[in-house]
Amino acid sequence: MFDGTPDEISGLVRPGQVHRRVYTDSDIFELELARLFGRAWVYVGHESQVPKPGDFITTEIGRQPVIVVRGGDGAIRVLLNRCAHRGAKLTSEPRGHADRLTCLYHGWAYDLDGALAAVPVPEGCAAGFDRARFGLAAAAKVGAYRGFVFASLSAEAPALDDHLGQMKANIDDLIDRAPDSAIALDAGMHRYVYRGNWKLQVENVLDSYHVPFSHASTVNRKGEQFSRREGDRTGAKVVAQKKTSDAWKGRRSYVTGPGHGWTSNTALDDGKRSSPSFDAYRKTLADKVGAARAEEILTPQYHNSMIYPNMSIMGLNMHVRVIKPLAADLTEVTIYPVRLLGAPDEFNSRNIRLLNVTHSAASFVQTDDLEAFRRAQEGLQSQQSDWVDISRGLGEERPDTKYNAVGELATHEMAVRAQYQAWVEYMGRTG
Amino acid sequence: MPGLDREPFELFLIHEARLLDARRFRNWRDLFTEDGYYWVPAAPDQESPEDAASLFYDDRELMQTRIDRLEHPRIHVQTPPSRTVRLVSNVTVEAADEARGEYTVVSNMMMAEYRLDRQRLFAGRQTHALVRAGDGFRIRWKRVDLINCDSAFEAMAVPI
Repeated sequence: MFDGTPDEISGLVRPGQVHRRVYTDSDIFELELARLFGRAWVYVGHESQVPKPGDFITTEIGRQPVIVVRGGDGAIRVLLNRCAHRGAKLTSEPRGHADRLTCLYHGWAYDLDGALAAVPVPEGCAAGFDRARFGLAAAAKVGAYRGFVFASLSAEAPALDDHLGQMKANIDDLIDRAPDSAIALDAGMHRYVYRGNWKLQVENVLDSYHVPFSHASTVNRKGEQFSRREGDRTGAKVVAQKKTSDAWKGRRSYVTGPGHGWTSNTALDDGKRSSPSFDAYRKTLADKVGAARAEEILTPQYHNSMIYPNMSIMGLNMHVRVIKPLAADLTEVTIYPVRLLGAPDEFNSRNIRLLNVTHSAASFVQTDDLEAFRRAQEGLQSQQSDWVDISRGLGEERPDTKYNAVGELATHEMAVRAQYQAWVEYMGRTG
Repeated sequence: MPGLDREPFELFLIHEARLLDARRFRNWRDLFTEDGYYWVPAAPDQESPEDAASLFYDDRELMQTRIDRLEHPRIHVQTPPSRTVRLVSNVTVEAADEARGEYTVVSNMMMAEYRLDRQRLFAGRQTHALVRAGDGFRIRWKRVDLINCDSAFEAMAVPI
């Protein structure tokens, strides 16, 4: 029996190794829901998904269903999606609009701030029934940075600002590309599911080592991936002389804070990037912020960012990815195309279209990752060795003053080790 | 459409389904006109592929990139490959312009896919915009509305 004592937790992670049980064990998975997703700042949605009072979306924090709703006062609240009476979910819709949240079962109705507003047949309530005590429970903490809304179920979570730390620069890098300095996640979504542990996806986001191999079928005879960004003539140079190319090997990764990290920009056509829709976008941006600043913005520094534990931003085919653990061996992922507000429609459309072929459930890129996750989950059932190796570059991590983070080659595994360091910190606290 | 023999349309859709089941993807691509496209929306009643995510939205160029990958020896998600069988039914010609040889054909489809000990089923309504070409037709556009288009899918590799 696994009790999750601090010693048991720290015994699952060694320098450069992690125990296979963290992927396969359902007891550990339950502890993750309680101790990691029950404590961390979890990304729950973007303000553009609930633009007007009464607009709501539903999601989960770990396994707990929540409603992210904009109140009449304009504030966004994160309410538990559970009637305070007999526990039914108040809504099963992924998104919607309501003046009140009314339970289908017995008709208890709540205001958008969670207060219980009405109870049918009130004369039947027990003596001393106090409506004020039956509001919807809310997440202990809610915060937002430039439209990205996070919530924590723990009152002891640090300030969101401290939690995000250096990752705010990653968010800025994306949003600064919008001529109106704001983005919207209102261009639909891709959803996929795989029979593997959630951490396989979290690790993969910052893994540059797998690309020439997992994604071999996307690389042409010249060793270049198909073009994934509007205005580029080709994609990234991934392979040279049947080996990982030097350009690819030079990519960097950085880690910061509790499990966060990013990989550096892929060397592409920057400077020569051009197409009718990209040129129109560049001009729109330059008209707003000036030519020099526009060039700075259009030389992105970030490729893939991971805000641990459940949200990732990609700067190449611009999107936000949300990772939802369903079981030790089952994970659902949602991908939201990013629309840059103020950019020409045609430019946003090109991003949406390229994202279809990189990250939809029917895409050219994501599907091979899903196959890798599934095979990893099956392979990890083997008891030949209990240990998974994550030691590439161990000891080569160096502080990076430019980014105020720790840097290393992106084909190494520093980012995975940093995620497990955070994992042990969240999981090892028993109180 | 009354007075229109639907058999040639039905036979064309069956031919298309057989090409896909046989993994003759290049022959399938050649059914499309040069400016043809293939669209599988990711939301019910999706109005446009330009302003929202789609499962598939391939013009001929993207179709070719997709097919190059499907023929690549290291496409892991098709190692081993899917086996599929498609059924096309309830075929009706919803609009016809005989003078221009243009037709809109609506049908129901099901695709059973088997791979690695698992079978799954896709079902939906498909619309083909066809243009007469010689004895047969070419596809100006094809749209497949899966009944579960907005659900979370395991990896899909072959066109529906």
